[in-house]
Amino acid sequence: MSEAEIIDKLREGSEKAFRELVDQYQQLVVNTCFGLLHNTEDAEDVAQDVFIEVFRSVDKFRADAKISTWLYRIAVNRSLNFIRDNKRRKWFQSFDDLVEAKKKSLGELVSGNTENPEFDLENSQRSLLLHEAIDALPENQRVAFTLNKYEDLAYKEIAEVMKLSVSSVESLIHRAKKNLQKKLYYCYKKKCI
Amino acid sequence: MKCKKVHKKLIFYLEGDLPEKEAGEVAAHLAQCVDCTAFANDMKRTLGVLQIEKSPEVNPYFYTRLKARMENRETAPKQIIGYPVWKKVLQPALFSVLLLAGVYTGFKIGGMANAEQSAQAYAETELVPFLNEMESEPIETFLME
Repeated sequence: MSEAEIIDKLREGSEKAFRELVDQYQQLVVNTCFGLLHNTEDAEDVAQDVFIEVFRSVDKFRADAKISTWLYRIAVNRSLNFIRDNKRRKWFQSFDDLVEAKKKSLGELVSGNTENPEFDLENSQRSLLLHEAIDALPENQRVAFTLNKYEDLAYKEIAEVMKLSVSSVESLIHRAKKNLQKKLYYCYKKKCI
Repeated sequence: MKCKKVHKKLIFYLEGDLPEKEAGEVAAHLAQCVDCTAFANDMKRTLGVLQIEKSPEVNPYFYTRLKARMENRETAPKQIIGYPVWKKVLQPALFSVLLLAGVYTGFKIGGMANAEQSAQAYAETELVPFLNEMESEPIETFLME
């Protein structure tokens, strides 16, 4: 089924078209959410919300746009909202819940390849460090960097998703890399790993 | 090129974003500076994590769960009107009022039970009759019996 056909059938409420859409774009959406949330379960939850929103608001979709651009935009917005809500929730969360969540995320990172636990542990530490550095970036830089790195999107595509000019995206990614470098150098000096 | 300048350009060098001339200068510096090479290797390994994480495995039950969630949303009863307001505003307010009432009652009860007064009252009402038997049973009554 072509993109246009999927959209047409979705407008008619076809379940088959919806299944096709999910099969085709599931990885794209989950991957984008994961890049911003760094947690598989959360990424899948938000990805489900993205598809539900798509199903419900398919009438708003402009025929001249690409489905992927639309999906990227919804995935980014939903993920950012999830992060904001989570931040607010943390204020009311008990300390035990926070420790449990941290343990869970560490466990998820460590339980990878058990053949080389030392390598795994180092990788998980690097992963945590990188996630913290990415999360500390300003929102626009974070989104541009994530789309570029996790989804290999070209600057032009990122510009379409973020509704910015290509030069703005270029500048955002340049600044994101500079900020990341600063954080990584600081950590290297302090011997975090 | 000095170390400080190299540190500023390292990420761009590793990502292949530098023009050829500058990349050559950074490479030449790295070839002779142990400290910068160590940092470059460290950063390369950290950024390499992105490649590992890039494509998380596709969950085969994703669609099934998604459908179940959509059906649940359709069949779930609507939330009580004003529930978020109740949860976010009224609930904490009610708990605060209860807490304040508890503290106030505690002070009131504590104020009434003055240590000296209550000890005296206890001695008078509870202990004296037992210690002073004459008061509860006069000698006349005793002799009469």
